[in-house]
Amino acid sequence: MSKSMKFQVLLCCSVFLFCGFSRYEKPKNTEGTVILKFNNLFNKEALDFEKAYTNAHGEKVKFTLLNYFISNIKLTKEDGSTYAVPQDSSYFLVKQSDPASKEITLNHIPSGKYSALTFTIGVDSLRNTMGIGSRTGALDVGATAKGMYWVWNSGYIFFKLEGTSPAAPEKQKNVFNYHIGGFGGYRSKTMNNIKTRTLAFKPVVVSNRKGPVIDINVEIDHFFDQVNPIKIAEKSSVMWGEFSTKISENYVSIFNLGNVSSK
Amino acid sequence: MTIKNNPKRLGVCLTISFGIWLVSCTLAGKETGPSGLFSVPEGFPEPVYNLAVNPVTEDGFQLGKKLFFDGRLSRDGTISCGECHNQAHSFTHHGHGFSHGIDGKEGFRNAQPIVNVAWQNSFFWDGGVFNLDLFAIAPIENPVEMDEKFPNVIEKLKKSEDYPKLFKKAFGTEEVTSERFLKALSQYMLSLVSANSRYDQYLAGKARLTETEMKGLALFKEKGCNTCHSGILFTDHSFRSNGLAAEYTGDLGRFRITENESDKNKFKVPTLRNIEVTYPYMHDGRFRNLEGVLEHYADGVQEVDNLDPALKKNPKPGIALTKEQQGQIIAFLKTLTDTEFLNNKRFSKF
Repeated sequence: MSKSMKFQVLLCCSVFLFCGFSRYEKPKNTEGTVILKFNNLFNKEALDFEKAYTNAHGEKVKFTLLNYFISNIKLTKEDGSTYAVPQDSSYFLVKQSDPASKEITLNHIPSGKYSALTFTIGVDSLRNTMGIGSRTGALDVGATAKGMYWVWNSGYIFFKLEGTSPAAPEKQKNVFNYHIGGFGGYRSKTMNNIKTRTLAFKPVVVSNRKGPVIDINVEIDHFFDQVNPIKIAEKSSVMWGEFSTKISENYVSIFNLGNVSSK
Repeated sequence: MTIKNNPKRLGVCLTISFGIWLVSCTLAGKETGPSGLFSVPEGFPEPVYNLAVNPVTEDGFQLGKKLFFDGRLSRDGTISCGECHNQAHSFTHHGHGFSHGIDGKEGFRNAQPIVNVAWQNSFFWDGGVFNLDLFAIAPIENPVEMDEKFPNVIEKLKKSEDYPKLFKKAFGTEEVTSERFLKALSQYMLSLVSANSRYDQYLAGKARLTETEMKGLALFKEKGCNTCHSGILFTDHSFRSNGLAAEYTGDLGRFRITENESDKNKFKVPTLRNIEVTYPYMHDGRFRNLEGVLEHYADGVQEVDNLDPALKKNPKPGIALTKEQQGQIIAFLKTLTDTEFLNNKRFSKF
């Protein structure tokens, strides 16, 4: 090996080592944290499974379950550029019964001034078609995603709301359940209820010292009347079919911006 | 110091490279299965299943087989996969129109055989599941089959005495995960390859068919049975309506998944391999024997919505077949019985 070759090898090695280490030594002031807080509300108050409510159609309701997937989170800077949270760490299951699940911490967000947040309510179609090895964490059908997956018609349930109401049929023990999913199908086209929501806000700073807490109010009272009237007396059990699209049109716009504060 | 002027170092390098080569060979050998755990039979196409992400290994196969025959996968420990998928009947539920599950409850469709699934691109009569690895969760969670929650199964196995050790053998650590569970079951099911029927032996020039069977084979092609039951797998994997009267169960088949009007009354074209032993027939098991099936095609096809064009070629819907011809076709269909597969001890519980 000639001297110049030896030098090249040495140079390559040092560059490699430098790159390797620099990944860990990268000064942290180029990134920060953003916290998303999902507040499930009814008539502007925190949703409570113990309480009885009345919906816009005068139907008395009590809730027993509320779960939804939040995924593919994207943040938009003031200048219009966007940062997408890496796919593999961008799936979350929010459960009313699990307070910890309602707070999503996004780390490694590049510093800057951000003015909008975009997220999917549900699970994108690509992930819905991936192999079992790509279904970990919130998407693990054998653990966290319990009850949020259709086994007979492969696909995740995006939004699940259950409860009881005198308006629901007696033979159903007055139970109502809305299980909404549908990613568009794999080999044949099927229903697509994937919904994306963008919330804009006054620019907030993300840095290693400052990070916003973005409150997202999920107004469950308007689940029943936001766009389409959903009367329990008429539709008390929806799990697939055309009407599920009407429901997804409703719930996408009950995710609204609450407080945005800096920590 | 360079390799060139240092023979000792060259020796070390070569030894290491040889070592790596040796290890990679052993690993590769293990993955593809030295004992022929899964291989593509002569004349079969490339599998649809991606074996690269889940190569069949001996330990994975054994774990999958144990899971397949384990009642712990069901709510009350009584129903295993093997309960409704019986080897002697090409892994289907023999003799039952609708398959029976937990508490003797009846399902609404006839259990399908598990054979040559590596070539199958969708599962169930309506094709609701598109990946073998996602298939097993359905019977586990079906309230009339095994009626268990999949996460509970994983928890039960985690706490069991035997499984963590077997997961370690198959996947390297004792961790029981949904991915490993499903992949092990897939490994077992992938191994259920049937390709040694008398017809296969005939194709290979190792056996002869009788005159009646030969006539049946000719009719099978001439009458267009192979339009749908095509190729070496005896299915084109499509969804079609074969003119069964829908009132029988009200089951609309593929429509249930796509909600597309043009999919009403369509069901997956099943393979005909081992058809002799997979009775009863059709998605609802309405025909108890092959004579009933052939009579249907000859005489019973209804003009239902979306009836397949292949059955509308004659003035009368269906396939024009005399009684004698029906018998000849049945004789041919029986040459698709693979006794080696049906009796292979490797696949059996004990």
